[in-house]
Amino acid sequence: MKKLLSVLISLMLLFALACGKESDVVKSGETIKIGFLGPMTGDAGNYGKLMSQAVKVAVEEFNAAGGAEGFNAEVLVEDTEGKVEKANPAIEKLAGVDKVFGIVGSVFSSVSLAVAPKAEASKIVMISPSSTHKDLPEKGKFIFRDVMSDALQAIVFGKYLAKVENVKTVAILYIKNDYSQGLAMDFKAQFEKEGGKVVAVETALQGDKDFKTQLTKIKGANPEAIYFPNYVAEIAQMLEQSKQLGIKAKFYSADGFSNPQILELAGDLANGVIYTQAAEQPTSQKRKDFEAKYLAKWGEKPDAFSLNAYDGALIMLNAIKATSSKAMGGNLKIDRDKVRDFVAKTKDYDGASGKITFTANGDLVANIGIYTAENRKFKQLKMFKLDGENLVEIK
Amino acid sequence: MNLFNIPHNELLQHLLNGLTLGAIYSLIALGYTMVYGILKFINFAHGEILMLGAYAGYYVYYLICDPSQGGSFVIFAFIISLLTAMVISASLGVFIERVAYRPLRKAPRLAPLLSAIGVSIILMNLAALFFGTKSRKFDYPIDNTTIQLDGTSITPNQIMILAVGLIMMTALKLFIDKSRLGKAMRATSQNQSVAALMGINVNFIISLTFAIGSALAAVAGIMMSLEFKLYPTMGQMAGLKAFIAAVVGGIGNISGAMLGGILLGLLETFGVVILGIPQGLKDTIAFSVLIIILLVKPSGLLIKNIREKV
Repeated sequence: MKKLLSVLISLMLLFALACGKESDVVKSGETIKIGFLGPMTGDAGNYGKLMSQAVKVAVEEFNAAGGAEGFNAEVLVEDTEGKVEKANPAIEKLAGVDKVFGIVGSVFSSVSLAVAPKAEASKIVMISPSSTHKDLPEKGKFIFRDVMSDALQAIVFGKYLAKVENVKTVAILYIKNDYSQGLAMDFKAQFEKEGGKVVAVETALQGDKDFKTQLTKIKGANPEAIYFPNYVAEIAQMLEQSKQLGIKAKFYSADGFSNPQILELAGDLANGVIYTQAAEQPTSQKRKDFEAKYLAKWGEKPDAFSLNAYDGALIMLNAIKATSSKAMGGNLKIDRDKVRDFVAKTKDYDGASGKITFTANGDLVANIGIYTAENRKFKQLKMFKLDGENLVEIK
Repeated sequence: MNLFNIPHNELLQHLLNGLTLGAIYSLIALGYTMVYGILKFINFAHGEILMLGAYAGYYVYYLICDPSQGGSFVIFAFIISLLTAMVISASLGVFIERVAYRPLRKAPRLAPLLSAIGVSIILMNLAALFFGTKSRKFDYPIDNTTIQLDGTSITPNQIMILAVGLIMMTALKLFIDKSRLGKAMRATSQNQSVAALMGINVNFIISLTFAIGSALAAVAGIMMSLEFKLYPTMGQMAGLKAFIAAVVGGIGNISGAMLGGILLGLLETFGVVILGIPQGLKDTIAFSVLIIILLVKPSGLLIKNIREKV
């Protein structure tokens, strides 16, 4: 009996090993699978929709250019609804069943932080187009992002508000998720370091629609400015209810504000809100081409995160193309470690979102833009970079 | 300054915020409580009827006018869409009762409850499929410029919510207490078989209850969309809160539902402001209240066995 068992176990082990090898091979006639992980439904569904469409454009382009050794790529879109509990089965499916070679995603920081260990363990290159939480790149060798870190965004914004706009008192209203909380805390620390005063810090839950209690308290603290580092569904409500309560403070936000849906939900209330986002680089031909292609295919314009999603998808697909080789039987052999190393070496990649360079731990090297909304359009006002401790304006 | 060390105008502002929230909860809670009063079962699909009513109102509203233009026609269009939404919701409520609950009326009490949860999930996902998941803006029919009174702000829309809530609740109360149909409803809620023996068409009365409750939900749904936007899951949390409101007031009791709703709205607001409960735990307040009430006074604040239960 014991003998039989050990034979069985060794057989299973062998099988498992064989499978492990198998996962790095794309059989002839099959496609190279990459995944997109993001909210496709729910309040944040618009973010995921825009970004997944960008990935599809990238994949189409890659295939049109011949793919890798004639193998076409395919993107599998998995819906997270922006929730960790939905994202966990989704990453298990992508890693375990589909055995994808790369993932564009996830969208929200909370979700990316939760799925990163699985991607790392399965040696899947993950490039997030929009998760800005400062801890994300430290989650592993395979984890990258082509969006700027919140830590950078918050530090620059704290300095900007105190030094450039000369604001003395600020109130913060943030949603309890990793993205908003991270920004709020980093901003608070930096703003106070610069001598500013944070007179009220209020929180709310993701999905809340009524912020009047918090805003009434903020009104009582009478700040010069209010910082809303949240996503658009909440910001629209906050702007509207602030107006209803007769709050006269100036409003500031972060890159969550850059989704064009805000212009529809908040209407004219979005005008004059100032927010940070990765600095817009001179509009390249590559970006124009992508935007034209996107508009023609999907009938709507891509947002800033879609540019990142498109670039991220192409970076990983190019890495697969560069490192894969034909194996016996017409199969394609892909070495996951080599793909990762190729992605990590990305320097001055000419993407739709601008020049992309990864730091040693997989973060994006970025300049920060100060933006505003005006007449239902976004506009960049200024551009800054951090030079050691100093804020330097780039003209 | 006062007892709570909060300026008067700020306190008044919180009171207004809490009352508006409470008025919406009350309107929804009425539907739960009416159905419970008659069938002794909780219609968990009520929140979705509310959501679909709001969508119905939205489409009619934008079909007949362009609200951004303003003017008196918009108000007229809004009233038409409100009424259409009430009719559509009412029919939907009756239809759901006919299809999903009536066949189970003699079944164990768990069966219709599960059926209700099923209906709720189906409707929510259908809405997400057909209407899309993004939030939509429901433009105000009236100029919603804030009215400032000594540091306290109130919007015309808040006044409208409070007024409509009050009118609807009073009308319902009068209908149930004074009209013949109301009397029949009360009789049915006390004893279905005896009511049937007295010549009351029990099935009709139950349908009527669903129709009225659903119509009120449509009104609440539209009021909610004006304040908090329109999206397929809007009925979920609102429905749960309203259910708690109904239990707090004494489920099955009309006045109880009104009281429970207002109380819950105020508690959520003042729990944060005065008791210093962290804002992130705002929803917890409602559920803690539910647990406390069930432990201390399971029949609800207003004792249930008074005559008017429906």
